[in-house]
Amino acid sequence: MTTNRRNFVKSAGALAGGVLFTGVTGLSGCATTSLATGGGNRVVIVGGGCGGATAAKYIRMLDAKIEVVMIERNPTFISCPISNLVIGGSKTLADLTMSYDGLQNTWGVKVVQGEAVAVDHDKKQVRLSNGEVIAYARVVLSPGVDFMYSALPSLNNADAQGRVLHAWKAGAQTVALRKQLESMRDGGVVAIAIPEAPYRCPPGPYERACQMAAYLKQAKPKSKVLILDANMDVTSKPALFKKAWAEMYPGMVEYRPNSKLVDVDLQTMTAKLELDDVKVDVLNALPPMKAGAIADAFITANKRWCEINWLTYEAKNAPGVHLLGDALQIAPLMPKSGHMANAHGKACAAAVVALMNGEEPNPSPTLSNTCYSFVSADKVVHVASIHKYDTQAKTMRTVPGSGGVSAAASELEGQYAMTWAKNIWADSLT
Amino acid sequence: MHTLIQRPPLFCAAALMFSNLVFAQASTNPPPPSAVAPPPAAAVAPPPIPFAPSNLTPSGVRALAANCAACHGTNGKSAAGSVVPGLAGRDPEYFVTQMANFKNGTRQATLMHQISKGYTDAEIKALADYFAAQKP
Repeated sequence: MTTNRRNFVKSAGALAGGVLFTGVTGLSGCATTSLATGGGNRVVIVGGGCGGATAAKYIRMLDAKIEVVMIERNPTFISCPISNLVIGGSKTLADLTMSYDGLQNTWGVKVVQGEAVAVDHDKKQVRLSNGEVIAYARVVLSPGVDFMYSALPSLNNADAQGRVLHAWKAGAQTVALRKQLESMRDGGVVAIAIPEAPYRCPPGPYERACQMAAYLKQAKPKSKVLILDANMDVTSKPALFKKAWAEMYPGMVEYRPNSKLVDVDLQTMTAKLELDDVKVDVLNALPPMKAGAIADAFITANKRWCEINWLTYEAKNAPGVHLLGDALQIAPLMPKSGHMANAHGKACAAAVVALMNGEEPNPSPTLSNTCYSFVSADKVVHVASIHKYDTQAKTMRTVPGSGGVSAAASELEGQYAMTWAKNIWADSLT
Repeated sequence: MHTLIQRPPLFCAAALMFSNLVFAQASTNPPPPSAVAPPPAAAVAPPPIPFAPSNLTPSGVRALAANCAACHGTNGKSAAGSVVPGLAGRDPEYFVTQMANFKNGTRQATLMHQISKGYTDAEIKALADYFAAQKP
């Protein structure tokens, strides 16, 4: 089966591809014709984010006999977790930017910088945009999300997307959104538009609203943050976020549920909702999302997400093709988070190693998740969950009685959140 | 199909914890109100979920332990200067006792009281032994 990549979201690709960092060496030029054949003991991983990078490391850690090639379009890893702090001003993008050298040097993962454009599973090959071909025994797709700009017609072009940012893949857009806030007049309104769930990082938009308000409170205190939420209520940690807005940023954050963005008037920077219009100074629009395009042939749910076998992480419609991370049709109460992608990466790695060795995959996988959200520069709230395999429904279910949210925002959890970040980055990359 | 693995006796207790009533009975020291997670939205106790029995084979325990890595470091080795303690090389009895204290609320926590309840006592014992065997 061959999947031809759809027209890639141009600005996202151009911006991500345009980010240049110093100190990146030895990543490009690895994809030689020598990889075109001999895929018998090779696992090819597409995507080096929280999920793909973790899978690459753990496959090598569990079985160094397996060759692992990871294809990633960006020269470095830029963490989405913590990236809202760049908008708030307490972190820089450099703080979130990490090398893939550890995967290569410590774990022997071959990192190929390039754009995977097609999976030909009949031939067991991944094709790159430069025409190169990499053969595999098994392929792991961790493509994250693509944005469905068709749902926001006026934004369905690169120029508009350069003005109304998503900043939902950490990188140049994150910095650009911060600059838009710096340029905004005092007394201005910045709106963040949230699509209907599911989308990447459920608490992320609300954390971002906090970070925007934290910056504006000290720099432009007459300004406001307007949350235009397509959902009926805050989709994650609602009580904790509402308390933070009311007590830490009184009068600055306005939350509007059932306010789905349907288009934008770019001339007047007006957010067009289903029932009314709102003129703003800065608009941060998160479009509806779907599985990254390389996984299009394996999308089986709502034309957006990929269903898998939760014991092997293989696509429902293509054994031998493994999928993980935000691209998945999630199990009940499972967030599309970086932490969950990291957990998927490890469970998938264990399954891949078992199958490559002719063994039965773990019949009882367990996944954990913690999403920390910074409601200020140093105060944090969390939501945590444990997911185990339901043998009847053949899906992952949260363990009754486990998990929960913070009692209150605290600086202690702020310290834990930064430690979590350091440890999960290391768990994925070094 | 899968190799059959004997169901640890405590697994059923964990599976039934959805009901606060059952949980209260199972716990000799009910957690203080501030440590209790909000009750699930469904007030009516749903039927028990037929979770797969714990896999306490070496590879199963290794997979279970991998969940701890996101906060406590790969194989329990936490980053230098971390405020989250490493787990590698810990005394297994200490590990088991602390997890029990998180579960029953005698040790205050920001989130470990919520995480610990996701694991059966047999799983916690296996994790304790796994981390004790890791080099710190």
